Amino acid sequence: MQQDEILARLTEIFRKTFDDDRLTVTHDMTAADVEAWDSLSHINLILAVERAFEIRLTTREVRAMKNVGDFVGLIAKKAA
Amino acid sequence: MSKTPHGGTGLDYFALVEEARRLPGAALDRTVRLAVVAEFSTPHLLPLLRALAARAGVLLEIYQADYDSIEAEILDASSGLHAFAPRYVAVLPAAEKLKTRFYRAENRQDFAAQMVARFTWLWAAMNSGVTIIQGNFVQPSERAFGHFELKVPESMGAVVAAVNAGLAAAARAANNVLLCDVDHIAAEIGRASWADEALWSLAKLPCRLDHLPLLAQAVVGIVLAAEGRMIKCLALDLDNTLWGGVIGDDGLAGIALGEFDEGEAFVAFQHFLKDLKNRGIILAVVSKNDMANARLPFQKHPHMVLREDDVAVFIANWDNKADNLRRLQATLNIGFDAIAFIDDNPFERDLVRQFLPDVVVPELPEDPALYIRALNAAHLFETASYSQADRERPKQYRVEAQRELAKVAFTNIEDYLASLGMKIAVERFTPFQVPRIVQLMQRSNQFNLTTQRLGAGAVAALMHDAKCLPLTVTLSDKFGDYGLISVVILRLSEAEIEIESYLMSCRVLKRGVEDFVMNEIFTLAAARGAKRVVGRYLKTAKNAMVENFYQNFGFQKDYEWSNGDSTWSLAPAAYAPRPVFMADSRVTF
Repeated sequence: MQQDEILARLTEIFRKTFDDDRLTVTHDMTAADVEAWDSLSHINLILAVERAFEIRLTTREVRAMKNVGDFVGLIAKKAA
Repeated sequence: MSKTPHGGTGLDYFALVEEARRLPGAALDRTVRLAVVAEFSTPHLLPLLRALAARAGVLLEIYQADYDSIEAEILDASSGLHAFAPRYVAVLPAAEKLKTRFYRAENRQDFAAQMVARFTWLWAAMNSGVTIIQGNFVQPSERAFGHFELKVPESMGAVVAAVNAGLAAAARAANNVLLCDVDHIAAEIGRASWADEALWSLAKLPCRLDHLPLLAQAVVGIVLAAEGRMIKCLALDLDNTLWGGVIGDDGLAGIALGEFDEGEAFVAFQHFLKDLKNRGIILAVVSKNDMANARLPFQKHPHMVLREDDVAVFIANWDNKADNLRRLQATLNIGFDAIAFIDDNPFERDLVRQFLPDVVVPELPEDPALYIRALNAAHLFETASYSQADRERPKQYRVEAQRELAKVAFTNIEDYLASLGMKIAVERFTPFQVPRIVQLMQRSNQFNLTTQRLGAGAVAALMHDAKCLPLTVTLSDKFGDYGLISVVILRLSEAEIEIESYLMSCRVLKRGVEDFVMNEIFTLAAARGAKRVVGRYLKTAKNAMVENFYQNFGFQKDYEWSNGDSTWSLAPAAYAPRPVFMADSRVTF
C-alpha cells in the first residue's frame, strides 16, 4: 500500500477518533500536536487502525511509535 | 436509535463512543448515580455505560475511582466514592490481578476463601442502602495441569472456579449484592478471543476493546433491572413461532411439534418459555387465528409444553397485531417497554416496531432451532430479584383476566366491588416481607407518587425508624390472592404526617384499595392530633396516572415546580372519608 493512501485513510481515522473534521495528518505529527490525543484516545486510535487495515500491532510496536510517520511505516510493513 | 435498552442491538465500540459524545443529557427522564471501582482501567468503559443507559432514557452520573483503588475507595469513609453517595457501586475485579496474587501466595489452600472474604468485607463496608454489582473473574486460558487442572484444588483453574462459586454463594446470602457474571460473558465470546494480553500490559484494559461494550451492557442491564426497567411480558405469536406450520390449515396432527424434524426445536423453545414463566415473566398469546383453532394445541396436542394455564392473556383474532398489543397492554397495565413481542414473521415485527416503538421486538432467525439463541442474545431477561411473588405472578395475571369477565355481569361498580369479597390487611413492614417490598419498589412505575427505590438494607432500616411508619397492603378476593400490592411510607412528626412514598401495583387499580388506605391515614392523623397530611408528587415519564392523586382526595396544592413536581396538604377535619367495599379488613400498626 502506498504511503499517500495510508496517510489519507489515517486522516479519516484521526478525524473520527479525535472528533475533529479539520485534522489532516502529516508524517511528523505527534500526540503533542492534537489536543484530544491522550493515553485514552491513543488506545482507541490503535484499535481503529487495527480494524481499518486488518492488522494486529504488538506491544513493542505500539510503545516504539514516536510520530505518525512511524505509524505509517508500521502499517505499510504489516498490511503489505 | 431505539429508546429502549433492549431494542438497540448496536454494540459496536466506536458507534457507542460516538453516541456517548452526542448524549442529550437534559432529555433523559431519570438520573442514576453509579460508582465504578475496578482492578482495571475504566475510562474506556464509562462512555459506553452512559450511552447504553441513555438508550433507556436514563442519565448515568458516574463516579470513576482511580485505577486499582477498590480497597482505598470503599474502606475509607472519607473517600470520593462515599462523598459521591452512589445508589450503585460496580466492583469489577481483574483476573490478571488475581493471577499476580495467586502466584505470590504462600498458601494456595486458603487462597479462594480469602479472596471471597476480601469482597464480603468490602460489601460490609458499604452503606446498606447501596446496591453492589459484583463482577466475578474470567477463567484464565492457561492451565499448568492441562485437563488434570480441576483435580488439583490448589491449581489456578480450580481456585478461580472456587472464588467465583464463593462470590455467588456470598451474594445469595447478602441482600444488597447483585452479580455481574463476567466469566459468562467472556465464555460466550470465547475466552481466548475475550482476552487481550497486549492491551492489558499497554493500558490495563480487561479485554479486547471490541468486547468492552458487552461488559458495559451487562452492568447497565443490571442497573436498569434494579430500577424497574425490565421485560415483564412476552407476547407470543403461535404459527411457526410455538409450532411449525399453520394450525388453521394443517390441523392438530399436521403441525410440527414433537420428537422429529423441526418439531423438536419448537418443544425446546417452549421449554425455555415455560422456564421464563416459572421465574415470573408473563406469557401472552397474540395470534392471527380463530380462537378455537388457536387454543386447540394447548388443549389437545401431546407434545405441547405450554398449556392454557401458562398463558395469562390469550388473544386470537384477525385484527392487526399492534391493536392486539394495545389491548394486551391495557389488560396487564404495564408499560409497552415491558413487553417483548416474539413473532417469526418479519412483516408483523416491522408493523409493531412502526406503530408501537416502545415494544421490544427481537429479530428471530428463520430456523426455529436458533430461536432460543436469538432470544437469549437480545439480553431481555435481566432481573434484580427473585421471590415467591415472581413464581405466582403469571397465575395472578391469569386470575385477573377472569375478574374482568366477571365484571361484565354487574351494572354498577359498587355492586361488583362488593361481590368480590375482598380482604385487605394494612400492617407495618415485617422482615419476611422485605424481598417483596424491595421488588415492588423496583417494579412500580405508573402508580408511584415519588418513585423512591430502596434496597433491602434501606427497607430493613425503616423498620427500626421511630419517626417512620412503613406500611404494606395485602389483598385477596374470592378469585385468588393478590399478595402484597402496595407500599406506603409515612413520616410522622407532631404537626403532620408526610406521605413519603406511595406506590401500588397496577393490578389492583379501581378496587378501592387507595380509598381504604387514605381513610386509614386520616384516621391516624386525627388520632395523633396532626394538623395536616402532606404529600408530594414527583413527575416521571411514567407516573402521569397519579398526577391528580392528591387532588382527587381533596388535597390543596401548596406548590408546583416548573418540572411538574408538586406538594399537597389537607387537614384531617377537611377530609371526606371514602366508601370502601372490603368484606374483611385488618389494620395493625
